[in-house]
Amino acid sequence: MNETIELALKALEAQLNQPLETALEACARCGICAEACHYYRAEPKVEHIPAYRAEQLRSVYRHEHDFLSKLFPIWTRSKKLDEPTLANLTEIAFSQCTLCRRCTINCPLGVDTPLMMRAIRTMASAAGTAPEILVMLADAAIEKGRDPSFYKEMFLEQIREMEHQLRDITGDETATIPVEKQGAKILYVPLAGAHTILPPAVVFNAAKADWTLSIFESANYGVFLADMKRAKEVARRIVDEANRLGVQEIVIAECGHAYASYRWDVPNWFAGEFDFKVRSLIEVLAEYIQEGKINVDPTAIPESVTYHDSCNLARNGGLIEEPRYVLGKITTDFREMTPNKAEAICCGGGGGLVALAEYAERRITAGKPKAEQIKKTGARIVVAACENCRLQIGDLNERYNLNVRITALTDLVVRAMRLPQPLPGTEAEHLFEDEKAVVTK
Amino acid sequence: MLISQLLALAGLVAGLFGIYLRYTETKHRVLPTDQSLIKGNISHGITYAFTKGMMPWAKESTRIHMLAYLRGIGFHVGIFTAIGIVIINPFWEYLPPIIFLILFWILGIAAVLGAAGGIMRIVEHNLRGLSLPDDHFAVWLTTLFITVAGLAVINDSFVIPMYIVSAITFIYIPLGKIRHCLYFFFARIFFGKFFGRRAIFPHPQAVK
Repeated sequence: MNETIELALKALEAQLNQPLETALEACARCGICAEACHYYRAEPKVEHIPAYRAEQLRSVYRHEHDFLSKLFPIWTRSKKLDEPTLANLTEIAFSQCTLCRRCTINCPLGVDTPLMMRAIRTMASAAGTAPEILVMLADAAIEKGRDPSFYKEMFLEQIREMEHQLRDITGDETATIPVEKQGAKILYVPLAGAHTILPPAVVFNAAKADWTLSIFESANYGVFLADMKRAKEVARRIVDEANRLGVQEIVIAECGHAYASYRWDVPNWFAGEFDFKVRSLIEVLAEYIQEGKINVDPTAIPESVTYHDSCNLARNGGLIEEPRYVLGKITTDFREMTPNKAEAICCGGGGGLVALAEYAERRITAGKPKAEQIKKTGARIVVAACENCRLQIGDLNERYNLNVRITALTDLVVRAMRLPQPLPGTEAEHLFEDEKAVVTK
Repeated sequence: MLISQLLALAGLVAGLFGIYLRYTETKHRVLPTDQSLIKGNISHGITYAFTKGMMPWAKESTRIHMLAYLRGIGFHVGIFTAIGIVIINPFWEYLPPIIFLILFWILGIAAVLGAAGGIMRIVEHNLRGLSLPDDHFAVWLTTLFITVAGLAVINDSFVIPMYIVSAITFIYIPLGKIRHCLYFFFARIFFGKFFGRRAIFPHPQAVK
């Protein structure tokens, strides 16, 4: 057995806990999960049935663990892990599954197929066959955490410039973007880019929140790799920062995988060191509107709006009503996609797929069911509270001629706050011609 | 008769022992603890997983494949009824005749549903692609088991075949795909824990 295979098998063994063994054993291969998967909906073939994908790992597992399979491999199609099999598994886990868990909720037994796909990703990461770009992005984030001084000065300079913009937008000369503020109540963790800093800064200032901006970004490519070591290293930067500043809660930018991991997984990785609440920016927006901390005009968004439930936020994260509450307060024509909420169809951009250029065509093809859903609503604005979903829906917009604008929830809230100036680069400045008249009425 | 009864008993003991071994093997594996702040309710989630969540209208998949799902439910009702019948065979003489007639119909329908499932695995493209020899064998074995149990309740000459087929079925349970009967419970519990904790199933209104 060569080293690659040995490492992959070792990684599988190390992960075999009760939930994973259950997922590997429970499937009855009834095939009812087929239509739950957006890959199957877009291209109905056996290879796109979640149970079929999972079978590829099960065949390896059975070879190692099943008595009957050891005696009669043909009976259960068990097979020894070899390099072509590992390559096939890696391809499946990274390019044909976004870990959306729609198959799980549609399985009569509740088989957690994404758990198996994660197990494969872990095996691939351990064996060195995982997509290089994800490894590079994760390692870059880890490096940044080791020595933030290298880029910190430049970052602070950008923030000072952003502060000027913030004051122009809000008309408030005292508005600030505090960084590394000791004892602040909230540590807000953005994504890379001003678009996830400026709009929340407007909201935090308007609500007079006691907040500070993280010098790191919330994206965690180690999570996509299902590489616990890397994922933990990336998360440690923020956990350490939160502990150092003594904040009470971490607020995660509009990002699906970052929210799901910091809210539900990271507390388990840092037991004892994790003494703060984790919320999504969406929950904070809902709270501020509910408590009257920010004022929004209920008629501010007259265009038809629909909301895309990011799988990591809704089905895996439990953030289902909060965005709808916010949208209910700022829109006059809100249209649900069908199905929605926990049953929402994945857009196809999750699981790190957006970062993998080699699978772009496959990703956009698999996004067709989402594109059709959006089209059916007839909405002109699609709100997605996840950066990867927004990027994917942007691609779907072009490919399937959806003629929609894609926006973050916070951007829409800021627009509803009726500030002296619109946010730069947001839809308020780029309305469709026929909508300009409506909005300016 | 006695030999076939002993055979069935031996099969039952072996099957139960095999399932016990599977159970202990899985229980010995690590059960990850979750220290994240709970949002929903785990026990509500588990209750949902075994009740409302199993209803044919609860999932998009079962709404699409309603007939296939109900066929599966009927088939499984037949399997458990047949197991019950075999176990209580020594007490059959105390049962009123109407019960035998009801059991015959339940098992008869279940056998037809089982055979339908077996045929679907052969003729339906997706199912054929998914199925292993183990799946084909398991569905036909259990269908045969239900069939002979159903015939045995109305005709004594099928009692010995019922015991023999029971013995084979019981022994096969922990060895092949039928062992999903054990993992079903694990899977639904983990499903309930995961989605219940996160307030996804059952879904409360998070913001009033």
